[in-house]
Amino acid sequence: MSSSAEPVESRVRFLGQRGTYWRLLSRGAVLLVLTLGLYRFWLMTDVRRLLWSHSEISGETLEYSGSALELLLGFLVAVSVLVPLYAGFFLIALQIGAIGEWSGVLAFLGLGFLGQFAIYRARRYRLSRTIYRGLRFAQGGSAWIYALRAGAWWALTGLTLGLAYPFQLASLERYKMRHTSYGNLPGRFVGAGWRLFLRGMLMWIAVVGPLLLALSALTAAIDWGAMAGTVEQGGDDVMARIEGGNPGFGSAIAFALLMFAAAAVMAALLYPVFQAIVLRWWCSGLSFGDLRLDSKLRIRDVYGAYMRFVWYALLFSIVLALAALPALLALGLLEEKLPNSTATEAASVGGALAGYVIAMLGYSTIYRATVGFSLWQLAMDSIVLTGVPLLDRIEARGGASSPLSEGLADALSVGDY
Amino acid sequence: MSEAYAINTGAGVFFDGRTSARHPVHVMLRPEQLEIESEDGRLLAEWPYREIESLNAPESVLRLGRRGNAVLERLVVSDPALATALGERAVQLDRSGRVGRRQRAAVIGAGMLATLSLVLLAWLAVPSLAARLTPYVPLSLERKLGAAIDMQVRAALDTHHRGAQFECGLEPGKRPTKLALGRLLQRLESVAALGMPLRIAVVRRSEPNAIALPGGQIYVFQGLVDQADTPDQLAGVLAHEIGHVAHRDGTRAVLHGAGLSFLFGMMLGDFVGGGAVVIAVRTLLQSSYSRDTEAAADAYGVQLMRKAGGDGRALGVMLGKIGGATEPGMRILRDHPDTKARIAAIERLAPAGGGGMLLAAQDWAALRTICKD
Repeated sequence: MSSSAEPVESRVRFLGQRGTYWRLLSRGAVLLVLTLGLYRFWLMTDVRRLLWSHSEISGETLEYSGSALELLLGFLVAVSVLVPLYAGFFLIALQIGAIGEWSGVLAFLGLGFLGQFAIYRARRYRLSRTIYRGLRFAQGGSAWIYALRAGAWWALTGLTLGLAYPFQLASLERYKMRHTSYGNLPGRFVGAGWRLFLRGMLMWIAVVGPLLLALSALTAAIDWGAMAGTVEQGGDDVMARIEGGNPGFGSAIAFALLMFAAAAVMAALLYPVFQAIVLRWWCSGLSFGDLRLDSKLRIRDVYGAYMRFVWYALLFSIVLALAALPALLALGLLEEKLPNSTATEAASVGGALAGYVIAMLGYSTIYRATVGFSLWQLAMDSIVLTGVPLLDRIEARGGASSPLSEGLADALSVGDY
Repeated sequence: MSEAYAINTGAGVFFDGRTSARHPVHVMLRPEQLEIESEDGRLLAEWPYREIESLNAPESVLRLGRRGNAVLERLVVSDPALATALGERAVQLDRSGRVGRRQRAAVIGAGMLATLSLVLLAWLAVPSLAARLTPYVPLSLERKLGAAIDMQVRAALDTHHRGAQFECGLEPGKRPTKLALGRLLQRLESVAALGMPLRIAVVRRSEPNAIALPGGQIYVFQGLVDQADTPDQLAGVLAHEIGHVAHRDGTRAVLHGAGLSFLFGMMLGDFVGGGAVVIAVRTLLQSSYSRDTEAAADAYGVQLMRKAGGDGRALGVMLGKIGGATEPGMRILRDHPDTKARIAAIERLAPAGGGGMLLAAQDWAALRTICKD
């Protein structure tokens, strides 16, 4: 560990065992299937209790005081808010004219906005359930304002093809941390967007560059006047006629596909780098009063976490394939004995469904136990604190907050640990 | 017991909940309570054993708080002997974890029961709830719903093949064919007395099929007209579709689908890979329900044909010919028992050889050319 050279007082460590986490997640995956997902509140709480209580800062561990029942209750309240909202969107969609036509966009924007609102409030819930040395963390600020800011930033990031993303992260993180406190110690975020921008620029070019090349090649190869006529005419054979009207179109498509593939490969290869850079930048930007965090997270460690995921996923795939063989054999026998029967149909559909669910849950569990666990561990172990003497003089402030919005985040599927 | 009680004092770390300061303390186990004393001998806290609770901490450490305390006082005990002695005095600390495991088992049991009851709700209560609510949906809303579905149906079914129009018989020269179609519909509609106007169109699709939308729009596919040998065979399928409109099956299906989406999209199924489970369960529940709906529409169709003076069995003949595929997505093989059962049910309802033709020969001849160039 890079932090082992630091004095104990300024050290942040993660004490959790990967084996415990594996057991927790795999038991949780089975129970998720058996309860069709209802168990997620208990699993999420267990995961947080494990991660929090094994994160040691300057000799003392964090305490998570939230409970699964709070999450369930918050979820039920959120559902009762969302159902009339969905019904409203449905009725709007039936309106003839502009409102009806734009209802899909309206619903997307409305739910996106609500999702950002929920993200902010869920963070507030998590912080107020985080206790360290007998004092709570707290978050004030307005979730509405945060959601407005986040919406505007997402629009800007979309319009600039992602170039504004570092500045979005910095701005939103500043808002969150400005309204975060530990006891009477105010939080602050000092990470600068342009630093992240400079670090990420090359990666952006490597991924978006091929995409832009592909688009420009397609645009150049098409005679737009003829194209409009062709598309307007419509029919089964649009593609054939487009190709007939644009002789260079075939090779342009081949080139575009090649570029798309290049962009996808680049994105997959560079994603761990991107994640490591963002995580280190974020950890290093956090501070509470004169208490500063600094991270020395290394990119190769994050790559190691992803390699571990790829390796386990490969093993799991082999096991899955071996397990599928006897199942397919049994199905083949059934097909032979009772061809075209309902039982055979049910067995094959049920088998495919079970296989799909096992595979998806398996990969997701492996991902969380490898990449998810390692990122938490690496980030914690990479942090060095300065200004630690302050830790003895902080005073209590703030109470617990409502779990409602964490439920909203869950209902909108934007929750995370 | 005497051995366990040998330890009645030990070291710990105390946080008073007012500041973050770390206080090394002596913990003393008195008969009814534990006392927390600072190193210089000041009494910092007295906690009765029954009010102590164990809080989130790593395995090697016991973190204690006082139940119902607004101030977050915390006592951290790392000494295993002291932790054991505390566990014996305050059983709720659950040092063996047995109570925690039992509670978790109860949670899992309750969770599975809740899941089961939600699935039963989706299976039994949602269809009947949808059926009860359907009559209260105003017809104006049903027409709007139909218009919205109509747009989607047209977008999905219209292939624009060789630039031909989706709807047949719109050319000026095809007026007689449209009139013949209108007369056939009129024969049935006048008997049905639905309270909402029906609209009908033959559309350029080769499958032998017909669909009814909420609000009274019926689409007959060209393939059905091509396969019908008599006007009554076409009318039989039309009467079946009118049955769907009369029973407001489209609106009921939308309500049914919304109920299932609520239960299996929001309450249940929110886990990785759960999407496939949701779709499978919904399809299963909806298709088992739609079999009943089809049977009811068959019965309505037979009655309507008889009242209009047509051949009640013509629908069965047509079903036999096309293999029961009156609904998209339900194209079942011809020898499928479901189709045979439907034909048998129709034959039970309708006497053989009843009724005459619902359309004059020249109208029928005209109608058959509605999609021909």
